[in-house]
Amino acid sequence: MSENLRVVENATCTFCGCVCDDMILTVDDTQKRIVKAKNACVLGRAWFAEHTIEEAPAALMEGKPATIDAAVAEAARILVEARFPIAYGLSDTTCEAQRQAVAIMDMVRGNIDTTTSVCHGPSGIAFQGVGESTMTLGEVKNRADLVIYWGGNPAESHPRHFGRYAVTAKGMFTPNGKKDRTVVVIDVRRTPSVPAANIFVQLKPGKDFELLWALRVRVKGRPIHADIEEITGVPPATIEDLVQRMKGCRYGVLFFGMGLTMTRGRHFNSGALLALATDLNEFTHFVAKPVRGHGNVTGADNVMSWQTGYPFGVNFSRGYPRFNPGEFTTVDTLARGDADAAMIIASDPASNFPREATAHLRRIPVISLDPKATLTSGLARVAFRTATYGINTGGTVYRMDDVPITMRKAFDSPFPDDESILKAIREKVRELLLARTPHGARSAFELPLTA
Amino acid sequence: MTLRLELRAAPEVPVEADCITPDRLRQLPIAEIERLPVFYGNRQVPLAEVFTVSGAPGETIQLRGDMSRVKHIGATMSCGQIHIDGHAGAHLGAEMLGGTIVVSGNAGDWVGPEMRGGRIVIRGSAGHLAGSAYRGAAVGMTGGEIIIHGAARNEAGHGMRGGLIAIGGSCGDFAGVNMLAGTVTIFGAAGIRTGAGMKRGTIIAMQPLEVLPTFAYACEYRPSFLPLYLLHLRRLGLPVTDGQLSASYRRWCGDAVELNRGEILSPSI
Ligand code: SF4
Repeated sequence: MSENLRVVENATCTFCGCVCDDMILTVDDTQKRIVKAKNACVLGRAWFAEHTIEEAPAALMEGKPATIDAAVAEAARILVEARFPIAYGLSDTTCEAQRQAVAIMDMVRGNIDTTTSVCHGPSGIAFQGVGESTMTLGEVKNRADLVIYWGGNPAESHPRHFGRYAVTAKGMFTPNGKKDRTVVVIDVRRTPSVPAANIFVQLKPGKDFELLWALRVRVKGRPIHADIEEITGVPPATIEDLVQRMKGCRYGVLFFGMGLTMTRGRHFNSGALLALATDLNEFTHFVAKPVRGHGNVTGADNVMSWQTGYPFGVNFSRGYPRFNPGEFTTVDTLARGDADAAMIIASDPASNFPREATAHLRRIPVISLDPKATLTSGLARVAFRTATYGINTGGTVYRMDDVPITMRKAFDSPFPDDESILKAIREKVRELLLARTPHGARSAFELPLTA
Repeated sequence: MTLRLELRAAPEVPVEADCITPDRLRQLPIAEIERLPVFYGNRQVPLAEVFTVSGAPGETIQLRGDMSRVKHIGATMSCGQIHIDGHAGAHLGAEMLGGTIVVSGNAGDWVGPEMRGGRIVIRGSAGHLAGSAYRGAAVGMTGGEIIIHGAARNEAGHGMRGGLIAIGGSCGDFAGVNMLAGTVTIFGAAGIRTGAGMKRGTIIAMQPLEVLPTFAYACEYRPSFLPLYLLHLRRLGLPVTDGQLSASYRRWCGDAVELNRGEILSPSI
């Protein structure tokens, strides 16, 4: 081991949506790696330990090494020539890079979507339809005396959620941590999160909506007209107990995961949970929050909303933003074969999308930006290798409760960051569009006024 | 007087042709119709690049070809007729006010979203969200009729506040979700959670269905309006049986999480 060690304090882990910003990293500058990550959980430790700088070209075109300039020019040409270009991914990069991606798709009148559409997109639809009674995790830590996890398994997916914010965390009105709280886990199976809970409610798979509906109707004091235990697997006495606890707490919170959003019913499941939180505000203070996965997926929602007015699934083909999940979400634009070019940023749809969607991805020109080689970068016509955010770049990410956090880089990477590549593409796109705009036309897309 | 538009070739990317309405085209000379802009992906092109135009402009527009990628046909139309010989793309008759659209094949998602009046007939099947509200809006169709002879997918009549949707085949989940008024008739099997969150309105399910636990069984009776509705639907070619005309119906009211004034009717057999 080399002696060239350095300590970086207050670094940020971007592996999951907790975005813990209390990392103390020991960096070996000779070997270009992180040898120790104090405060990190097991996932975070692995994230830092596995990060190495591989020897690889910064840009590939048709699988062959190319200069960054040539690759940028080709990427811009692909985007400008396409009639339905799409951009996708964006959850594992900085807000600064996300912003450039929105600008590019606005200029080329493309379609932009983030990994939100395949995780908590349904919650995004539900927020719009039902509303959101929200908070920051600091509030939960200081005030919450009833914490309910629904359809999620934070012990394995967000290991520090319990300790930093919601279960054992000690706060202003919760000085004794877990002793001051009641923790409920509602799930279809006994997960490793269950031991942290005071109450575990096991429901039949796919019956979340029915149970939420039953809770809502009981919160309103109206009767349930069916054998609810037969339908949901949860006895009426348990439902009554939950309702009493929810109405009687001082500050209640419902955290929900993909067990709710990615099962049959999708946005109506999240919508039912948000409506339950809203109903409970007649009796006490109650909030709801999705437990978001990827590091900066919350930032992607925020940047998209702030720039286009909508969180994901946005289309610019008419020159102004339109939002329509189902029509403009990436799985759909690919599976239907609508897209004729794709720019994939920090995501690997080729490995996790449905078969029709990946088949179409193989048919069209793809541009990829990723710190590692992936299936998607393998099939890309233009592939950039970029610096890893949070380790080799600074910038801003959002925690799952919409709190922005500024990152500090641990050491330099030989590869450029996403933001600078996207900025270069944007400049090139601008040039190409100006050159294409006919005299007298409003833009490179509309017919000339004289036609 | 019929104007004929024939698709030149199946488009490679979605086409948005919201100018195809009798309101817009009936008084224009052919040469001008050919120059009307449509969006081919993100680019405006003259309509003649996508369709060949013939016939005489008038109250009727006849479209031919596989238009599953052509969106917004007949959007906001208020009069006249559109006949589509083939499939139709998404947003067919969106926000339409009057007139008739008939499709011989299937239609995409969002048939007649937020429509106010007129009639849409789909001989084949329709996609998700027929007669629904757009995302973010609370109110879907408020008037008119959507007649689907085949199947429909999820969320038919989402947020509907008037009018009639009839589905000859099966339909997906959440039919009539968040309904405020109006009627949805389903002749085939309904998916789950039919009528969730409905405030008022009527859902008639001809096959046995799973009713949410927040709906209360009320009674069995013969609603006097029902034979009138069913005879109307039979005239439109839907598979109404004599048994359905004379049956007595079981009634559930709900949804108790909302106003509880909606009803689900199903024949007792
Ligand atoms: S909880 Fe998440 S953000 Fe925090 S250290 Fe673990 S993986 Fe990283």
